[in-house]
Amino acid sequence: MKASLTRIGAVTNKEFKHLLRDVRTLAAVVLLPVIQLLLFAYAISFDVDNVPTMVIDYDKTPASSEYVRAYDASSFFKVVAHGDTLNQVDTAFDANTARVAVVIPAGFGETIAAGDKAQVAVLIDGSEPNSAKISQAYSVALNQLYDQSMTKSWAASQGLDLSGIGALEPRVRTWYNPERNSTIFLIPGLMAVIIAIVTVQQTAVTLVRERALGTEEQLLVSPMRRTELMVGKLLPWTLIAFIDVVMVILLGMAVFGVPLRGTPLVLALGSALFVFASLGMGLLISAVAPSAETANIMALMIAFLPSFLLSGLAFPLDQIPVVLQWFSGIFPARYMVTISRGVFLKGSGFAELWPELLTLAGYALVMVLVAARLYGRKARA
Amino acid sequence: MSEHPFPEPSPQFPEHSPQFPEPVEGPEASTSSANLPQFPEPSPQFPEPVEGPAIKVTGLTKTFGTFAAVDGIDFEVPRGQIFGFLGPNGSGKTTTIRMLTGTLRPKSGLAEVLGTDVVRHPERVQRRIGYMSQKFSLFEDMTVDENLKFYAGVYDLPAEKFAQQRDYVLRMADLVGREDELTRNLSVGWRQRLALGAATIHEPELLFLDEPTSGVDPVARRQFWDLLYELAGRGVTLFVTTHYMDEAAHCNQLAFIYRGRIIAEGSPTELRTKYMDQRIFDITVSSADLALDYLVSTEGVDEAYLSGASLHAATAAHSPLSADDLRQRLIGAGFADAVVLEVEPTIEDVFVNLVSRQR
Amino acid sequence: MSGKRIRLLIWKEFTQLKRDPMLVRLLLLMPVIQLVMFGYVVAADIRHLSTAVVDLDHSVASRALTDQFASSGYFTINARPTSEDDLRPLLDRGQIQVAVVIPAGTQDHLDRGETAQIGIIVDGSDSQVSAVGSGYASQIISRYNRQVMTDAGVSVAAPGVDAQIRVMFNPTLDPINTMIPGLIAAIMMISLMAIMSQAVVKERESGTLEQMFVTPIRASEYLIGKLTPYAGLATLQMLIVAAVGILWFRVPFNGQLGVVLVGLALFMLTCIGLGLLVSLVSHTRQQAQQAMMFIMLPTMVLSGFIFPIASMPPLIQPLTNLIPLTFALEVLRGAFVKGSGFAALAPQLLILAGFAAVIFTASIIATRRRIAE
Repeated sequence: MKASLTRIGAVTNKEFKHLLRDVRTLAAVVLLPVIQLLLFAYAISFDVDNVPTMVIDYDKTPASSEYVRAYDASSFFKVVAHGDTLNQVDTAFDANTARVAVVIPAGFGETIAAGDKAQVAVLIDGSEPNSAKISQAYSVALNQLYDQSMTKSWAASQGLDLSGIGALEPRVRTWYNPERNSTIFLIPGLMAVIIAIVTVQQTAVTLVRERALGTEEQLLVSPMRRTELMVGKLLPWTLIAFIDVVMVILLGMAVFGVPLRGTPLVLALGSALFVFASLGMGLLISAVAPSAETANIMALMIAFLPSFLLSGLAFPLDQIPVVLQWFSGIFPARYMVTISRGVFLKGSGFAELWPELLTLAGYALVMVLVAARLYGRKARA
Repeated sequence: MSEHPFPEPSPQFPEHSPQFPEPVEGPEASTSSANLPQFPEPSPQFPEPVEGPAIKVTGLTKTFGTFAAVDGIDFEVPRGQIFGFLGPNGSGKTTTIRMLTGTLRPKSGLAEVLGTDVVRHPERVQRRIGYMSQKFSLFEDMTVDENLKFYAGVYDLPAEKFAQQRDYVLRMADLVGREDELTRNLSVGWRQRLALGAATIHEPELLFLDEPTSGVDPVARRQFWDLLYELAGRGVTLFVTTHYMDEAAHCNQLAFIYRGRIIAEGSPTELRTKYMDQRIFDITVSSADLALDYLVSTEGVDEAYLSGASLHAATAAHSPLSADDLRQRLIGAGFADAVVLEVEPTIEDVFVNLVSRQR
Repeated sequence: MSGKRIRLLIWKEFTQLKRDPMLVRLLLLMPVIQLVMFGYVVAADIRHLSTAVVDLDHSVASRALTDQFASSGYFTINARPTSEDDLRPLLDRGQIQVAVVIPAGTQDHLDRGETAQIGIIVDGSDSQVSAVGSGYASQIISRYNRQVMTDAGVSVAAPGVDAQIRVMFNPTLDPINTMIPGLIAAIMMISLMAIMSQAVVKERESGTLEQMFVTPIRASEYLIGKLTPYAGLATLQMLIVAAVGILWFRVPFNGQLGVVLVGLALFMLTCIGLGLLVSLVSHTRQQAQQAMMFIMLPTMVLSGFIFPIASMPPLIQPLTNLIPLTFALEVLRGAFVKGSGFAALAPQLLILAGFAAVIFTASIIATRRRIAE
């Protein structure tokens, strides 16, 4: 056992020396994720407001103007243009200068004065579903409110007692993220994704480098067991990536105000396991890839899109076909995102997150063992 | 030697005499080339007969930032010679070759290759020269045949000529029957010869070889040089860089380059006599490293270093020390089995001497 | 420039590609697989939210309200806890995303003509769920109220506004229609850039790059010879991936095929060129790899593929114009969803062409300058 540790130590040492000599890589691995997190966290959000709105008022009466003012008053809509004809809507939508168009037909004021319901058209550019959905919801809400307030004032002017009619009032409480700041929702996930991408890449390269330099043969012949080799190689990277994670977490909290409500220990443990597992994945790729070139390409393709799309970062995973849900379980990023969000926002601890932690641990173990198995098979072939 | 008589040598070529130098030390001193294939009728005349030296370099300089890789060098290589460019790694050999082959622009100076300014008209020069790098640049994932076909195509060889050359190269490299093998599956010796074949498939007048024998075993090296002699025998000028000192003896003319400057020039014999101001003693002893430590510190010995299987000790030319004196000293220091002989300096000795003078 | 040498170089590339079936598989097969997989992910709509209803009233009204939620299609009632406290663990573990709490006495309030509060709890750790979920819930409650008013005969007589809210171009607001085209572009980008970025480095490391430049081969011939086979493969990839995307996911296509193809072709050229450029200026594979990542991460995040540009801070929005994918997405989404034609999308197409031109010029300069290093 002791000999084993010594050998692992030797490999770790060597990897560290390699790293420290390669300042460029070091800078890239340590600084880049941090810089990227800062940039992206600042940039991304799902929050929608100030939606550019075009108003086409064919009526031009006090009634229609009052209606338009409802949109002006809303912080969600931003009236940017007043058009004269319907064609202008097409142009505006095409050019993306407006996303919503309110069309008030002639006779609006008359109809209302006559005591009827006047029709209004609200056109929404559906080519951006995210904002379109929200715009739709807000339009509905705005119009319902307007309608109801009209009804109320009419009833009041008629002397009608509306008090006999009950109404339900929704009181919405948003747990974990009361301000509904999507950034806070996104950052924990973003952290996981960035680290996932960076780490898988790195290790994919190290083993192939050995093969290319011919030092692989040397190592295989030595008393070094392959598992020890794998572990030794992964440790320095794990440490560095872990430092990255810590920096990223601190920055997320300091700069973006992401709260840390859960057990930090779970986060730390999860991060360490996650990093180890991701690196293990990279190792597996490099052990399997026939050439350095393919290793790089595979690492890129495997690390990238899946991290963004299958980790639960931006797209919910419970609505997709079950087969895919299982498949997404292959990528460690998925578990890390859950852990990350859980600890930061939901105040989760071991009780809630132990399945994910266990999975990551098992993952890391399996990766290292399999990589150790396959490594050297190529060399002997 | 070959049984094909050479055609009347074109008047442009100097009286050809590849000076086969003194027998090289080491195993397999046989120079028998009886097992080399017959080469085809060489083209009777090089397409663009031009007078003058194969290479003429004046004040050639290349800097990378503030670092001067090549610092104002001058030399000339006459046609038909085997010219050796010696120096340790990092002395500027590869940079020089790159400038001469038109792949790197010099900072200043003139480089005329086969009579043409290679900086201004690289394409004209590149058609007539060949190049073999130390990496044996072959396409690993292509077969022997495909590699040859590629290079022949690049130089626009007509079909018949290609067939002829292809045959020759395959026989020369001993790859007949292995045309469809991937080059990555060939061992080093074969790759080396294939690389030479690919580099000469278009019958260049001048061939650049950048450390062509690195990583190759001595037997293969020997055989490779036999091939190079063949080429020289056909009038091809060879420009070879190497850091193996013993290969220097294969060349007609040598230039030593050290830290971007040429520190000596001449034939091997000239170098050994003109530049040498030291006497060399060859010492064989069992505990060589301990003996080396002793020699380095002993009085009267200017330099001591490992050379082949033995040690060389250099003393000043006028030193009164004799081989016997040295032997006595060594025995006195505890090296009872020391055998000391004064020898003629080798190229390596010359180089060590020159370099230490530079410091 | 010699056509003969270019053909020779192209022949060489194809010969090498033949020997690397993995590469061809990566280029043609994997993108299709990825498209199908990820298509499901990006196209998933937020519906059937897992909901818990805590009915403390057990009245006609509460049951009616619960039914409305259940039949809306947006909520799937998976739990009916008996107290609000039971909600905590359910939400913490993510078993439910929305909870409706109908307090005791709701019916009584309604009967007395008072306002009764209904608690709606949404999981804020998933911003889309919380935004959409609360929106849907509010709508359902609104509708309930309207029904109440109508039943009371009030609304019919009163004046008001009847808003016809229509979503244009993508009436179902099915994300499929905009995400699949975007996914096609993203997948192409990643695979092409990944492969091209290694293309030249391989030759630099083996020394064959140097060897080739000692021969009469010119820098421009080399580039064209390198590009053509990959451009051909990429075109094939583009057609396959686009066809699969459209057919498999039944993405409605409102626009002109020509626009899509031209846009994709230009974008493809930009990707290949960018990968090639990285390959040319990198000395080792690892450097090429890192450069690739440096380019691709911001591209994924800032191009509007996943995160809407309109939601980005004003300082960042101009930056998105430096990314070719941004414009490719505009072309694709415009053509697929809005039916925009060449006229409407001309600016974007021209910009893509501009990107390609700049990148290739840079490649030629890089080739000439760096071949010997």
